[in-house]
Amino acid sequence: MKQLITSILSLLLLFGATLLQADEILSFDNEAERQLYQQLTAELRCPQCQNQNIADSNAIVAVDMRQKTYQLVREGHDRAQVLDYMKNRYGDFVHYQPPFNRYTLWLWLAPLLLLTGLAGVGLYRRKQQLPLANDTQQQGLDTELDQLIERYRSKKP
Amino acid sequence: MRKVLFYAPLALFLVLALFLLSGLFSDPRERESASLNKALPDFALADLMQPQHIWTAEQLKGQTFLLNVWGTWCPTCNAELGYLSELRAMGVKIVGLYYELPRDPAFDAPFDLAVLQQDVTQKLAQHGDPYQFNILDLERSLALDLGVSGAPETFIVDADGIVRAHHIGDINPQVWRTKLAPLYQQWSQP
Repeated sequence: MKQLITSILSLLLLFGATLLQADEILSFDNEAERQLYQQLTAELRCPQCQNQNIADSNAIVAVDMRQKTYQLVREGHDRAQVLDYMKNRYGDFVHYQPPFNRYTLWLWLAPLLLLTGLAGVGLYRRKQQLPLANDTQQQGLDTELDQLIERYRSKKP
Repeated sequence: MRKVLFYAPLALFLVLALFLLSGLFSDPRERESASLNKALPDFALADLMQPQHIWTAEQLKGQTFLLNVWGTWCPTCNAELGYLSELRAMGVKIVGLYYELPRDPAFDAPFDLAVLQQDVTQKLAQHGDPYQFNILDLERSLALDLGVSGAPETFIVDADGIVRAHHIGDINPQVWRTKLAPLYQQWSQP
């Protein structure tokens, strides 16, 4: 029994090893290129699958885009050039960082507007409440309350 | 002002509810292609059946046509062949862009054009042949330049070689009637 388990485990290990070897092995001239490639594939979004970057996805298009990114990086293109290349083909969708334009304006504007709105409402309510404290009606109630307390105390033995 | 404040949460809730409701009926894959209203990218790719013939963007000018990205490996593409054939019979020019799968040298047999041609001929005989001809995009380079994310996808290209419409997914009678036919009509006008 023990032997069977060992042989199964070693078989699994063997397959695991070949699977690892089937992964992409990419060579770069220097560390900067490698980091640029890793950064770009993490930032570019796969157009086929929902919410995966191209580094994570094995969709055909993601594989092709990785290859293209690798090729462009090896050819010495910088970050902006590779991003432009992809955006020209797949639109702004392909980059996880949205650009600032008239369609995405609200992403930045909405929280600011909401905050100013909240601050405005807060200020307004404070203003409403402050004069209430000096109200003659409020003063009347205060004296009434004082009298009640006085009466209650005087009843005590 | 008190009344306004009283109804503000309800109004906010309604706006949010409407926003989320519209999300229920939207297609998350729907987005405007970056290729729209641009000329077809330059390419030089062989014909699938007559590989000695090389197609270029220039040769495709002259008539509005559908550029249909497909592959025999893709079930949805096979399913739409029948309806596309009907469109061809109605006089729509359809050009196939054959989207070949990438090969893993460790597992897959090397690419064999004869095998692919046989496969394609068989599939077209089975489901119908809507294509005037097929362009073989072996490395998916034209597909990448067009921003293709998978198959099937279809572009409407006008007589001047400008991409005018893009559709992700299959073409069925409803999609054709509501979305693509009006655009095709619009851009086929001389």
